[in-house]
Amino acid sequence: MTPENSLRISIENLERTRCAQWPHAQDNCLTCAMCSGACPVAGVDDFDPRKIVRLISMGMTDAAADSRWPWICTMCGKCEQICPMGIEIPDIIRRLRAMRARDKVPGILQDGLANALRTGNNLGLPKEDFVFILEDVAAEIAEEPGFEEFTVPIDKEGAALLTTIHNKLVNTHTDDLKHWWKIFHAAGEDWTVASDNWEGTSWGYFTGDDEAMRVMAGRIVENMRRLKIKTLLWPE
Amino acid sequence: MKEFETVTVFDLLIRYIKDGRIRLDRTRFEGLATYHDPCNYGRRAQKRFGHGFFEEPRWILDQCLENWVDLHPCRENQICCGGGGGALTSGYNEERIYYGRRKMEQIHASGARMMVVPCHSCHGQFNNIKAKYGLPDLSVKYLWELVADCLVWP
Repeated sequence: MTPENSLRISIENLERTRCAQWPHAQDNCLTCAMCSGACPVAGVDDFDPRKIVRLISMGMTDAAADSRWPWICTMCGKCEQICPMGIEIPDIIRRLRAMRARDKVPGILQDGLANALRTGNNLGLPKEDFVFILEDVAAEIAEEPGFEEFTVPIDKEGAALLTTIHNKLVNTHTDDLKHWWKIFHAAGEDWTVASDNWEGTSWGYFTGDDEAMRVMAGRIVENMRRLKIKTLLWPE
Repeated sequence: MKEFETVTVFDLLIRYIKDGRIRLDRTRFEGLATYHDPCNYGRRAQKRFGHGFFEEPRWILDQCLENWVDLHPCRENQICCGGGGGALTSGYNEERIYYGRRKMEQIHASGARMMVVPCHSCHGQFNNIKAKYGLPDLSVKYLWELVADCLVWP
């Protein structure tokens, strides 16, 4: 939208179809600013949830999508909790994120997601490296008293429980793999982890990419079926 | 979701404890601890799925610790840590660190020196900003890390 156009906005000329699925399409906002008061990040970079809602209500969706605001917000939901009109502001934020050209998504979010879609994990970590890291950490646990028998069951068909792995736990935080593994061992759990598509994050949630989320969730379901597992532990 | 069962981290830990599959020692940590409700497990899950996980983590904390307090406000009225929604990976670090100031004020006010949290984003955010807000020695623990630390095993 050009600045020239933005000056000519009138309520009669709003393009309504684009926002038809959004609950604020009929301009429900009372401008009460309860959302602004509740928002922990209001004021940063001039962000304010009410401004986002006003931009949308006035049809300036592109301006909102091009701004940094949808990415400064963490979609924590304080605003929608307090909104007297029930406007689902975090949902608006996520849809605005989805409107960004994928090469304009900030930070490493899109790179990580593209890696995940291409290789099954955000790091693009090859299977043999993944298995090596898991077995290395398992060997460390086995050196601790009471865990001498510990091994990591990878791709165990018919196991009772499937877990996923947050990519940082096989990258910079490998010690944090040990907590759950020790609990499983002490509980006598019959658990496993898949060597393919083990990623526990789904960054399509952050980038507004529903299709990517479907793909990531579908792969976990495939692992459940392939390995004939009874119970899935939701990713942490 | 009838094809197989799904459990959350809370459900599974509670199951292990209630079924007697693991035993926990409540005396291992003496200092004051506190708990942070992640937005997505709490307020947003309540809105989207009709159930926020508020009671479950607190019950687990009671099995592990004798000395912990809630932040104020908490549960559905908690304040976001500032690390959620992909903020740790968006590159807007200055904004993210400033965002966390109110959460850190809450922790200061509680007097706690250990923060227990069941979310990777919150965990990363606390460790990233604690020194900046004068709590360099704050111990940040995953909920399941606390459980593992309290295991009576062998």
